[in-house]
Amino acid sequence: MSLRNVAVVGFAQLPVVARDEHRMSTEMLYPVVREALERVGVTRDAIDYQVSASADYLDGRPFGFVAALDVMGSWPPRQDLHLEMDGSFAAYYAWLKIQTGEVDTAIVCAHGKTSEGEPERVLNLQLDPYYQAPLGLTPTATAALQASAYQARTGATDADFAAVAARNRAAGARNPDNQVRESASADALQRTPWVIEPLRRGYLSPVGESASCLVLAAEGKAEQLCQRPAWIHGVDHRTELQSIGARDLSRSAGAARAAEKAFEMAGIGSARDVDLVELLATNPAEELIVCEALGVNARATAPVVNPSGGALCAHPVMSTGLIRLGEVFRQLSGQAGERTVPGARRAVAHASQGHCLQQNVVWVLGTERRWA
Amino acid sequence: MDEPPKEPVKYIDAEVRLPYHYVAGDYRARYLRALKDKKILGSKCAATGKVFVMPVIASPESFATCDTWVELAGRGTITTFCVVNIPVIGRDLEIPYVAASVALDGADVSMFALIQECPPADVRMGMRVEAVWKPDGERRGDHEDILYFRPTGEPDAPFESFSHRL
Repeated sequence: MSLRNVAVVGFAQLPVVARDEHRMSTEMLYPVVREALERVGVTRDAIDYQVSASADYLDGRPFGFVAALDVMGSWPPRQDLHLEMDGSFAAYYAWLKIQTGEVDTAIVCAHGKTSEGEPERVLNLQLDPYYQAPLGLTPTATAALQASAYQARTGATDADFAAVAARNRAAGARNPDNQVRESASADALQRTPWVIEPLRRGYLSPVGESASCLVLAAEGKAEQLCQRPAWIHGVDHRTELQSIGARDLSRSAGAARAAEKAFEMAGIGSARDVDLVELLATNPAEELIVCEALGVNARATAPVVNPSGGALCAHPVMSTGLIRLGEVFRQLSGQAGERTVPGARRAVAHASQGHCLQQNVVWVLGTERRWA
Repeated sequence: MDEPPKEPVKYIDAEVRLPYHYVAGDYRARYLRALKDKKILGSKCAATGKVFVMPVIASPESFATCDTWVELAGRGTITTFCVVNIPVIGRDLEIPYVAASVALDGADVSMFALIQECPPADVRMGMRVEAVWKPDGERRGDHEDILYFRPTGEPDAPFESFSHRL
């Protein structure tokens, strides 16, 4: 099967903060869209299609995505799509649209002001409304259930979780866009208090806010817009059952299936064929589960996992996954600064959303075109 | 333990309470603070010169920044309106009353306004109106600082002068 070669040609994000007191969500998004287009060197007219990712329940506003149209350069009217999911999933829809041949270029925008509401209470509503949501399960509570299930199956210890968190924190200290930029030793993290056992304060993502914008272009346009595009080699997206009682929480069947199909599309045998992996895991147990699903040894040095510091150093809900794609673009196009993985030619960008990794999308990108 | 229900469960109550604390944003905060001083502020598009009220950071039309502040007169023209004959929860007004779209002088977009001191039957497109403010000392920097708009008695604005703002 031969598909259209599509590349990431531009990316911009706001540095992640706990709370931006000065700007509404759309006011945070506007400068990011401008910056992404300026980096690519085009005006808004050059973009055929747009997808935005935000969640009205997080923003506490009905139809918040309509307000976002005002800052995305939507006039004269153009084709638009909105997704109540992380921007990485929105990018999947933009990629699909480009595959149809109807459009050649797209922007993908993600925004969300987590500080205005209470994400733990909002995200409880992702559970089924009859049996699980009324229990008051928060994402941290279900993550703790998952972490326990993983420990029971694999024998992973508190120290294993601390080591994963410390690796992310050490890497994240080199990323100026991160909310948490201080490295922390595994020992120190292991001394932080339980939030919900077996998850400690030091193992959980700092929920923050940001806005981000990714620019995609098809072959023919991509080379004109970017000296070193990051070509998409494969992608797949899977959703699992909503009920957390109906899944084996110690594994991520969705991430495993998405990885298998994305690797197949990319023509690679396994994650051993990539140089780095950016994955969205909001705690060390999730990271270990996703690594297993992707076939990555989380303790080995290659491929490098989360050179950006990952979601344990910055978790602007709705943007966190899109930032993984943006990070892979920065790595493959030589814009990753101090956190550059030398000689990186192929990379995986993963994103997940929902309780206990309910939804997963896996991307494979490379410095060369996939299809002739 | 209670006895299991004899009738099948047909529904459950699942009450949802989600508190939010909004950031007004610097633009909106400046606009709201100005209302306290009986001033209506707009922002001007750097590319087209169009004036938006409430002020926005960027023009949805041109995608350019709107970083010049403009003070608008508290008067304008009714571009369109409706007569409300049904009570609305949270709006303690004697019905019928008139809800109108008012194009303030100097602005390129209209704002919604309540029209009072005028029988609904007399309200018309093109009618000139002015803001009636809460008394000094009672304004709090929110939209209720403008109590309503009332007719100024000026001659009506010709249709062509506001047809582009309908």
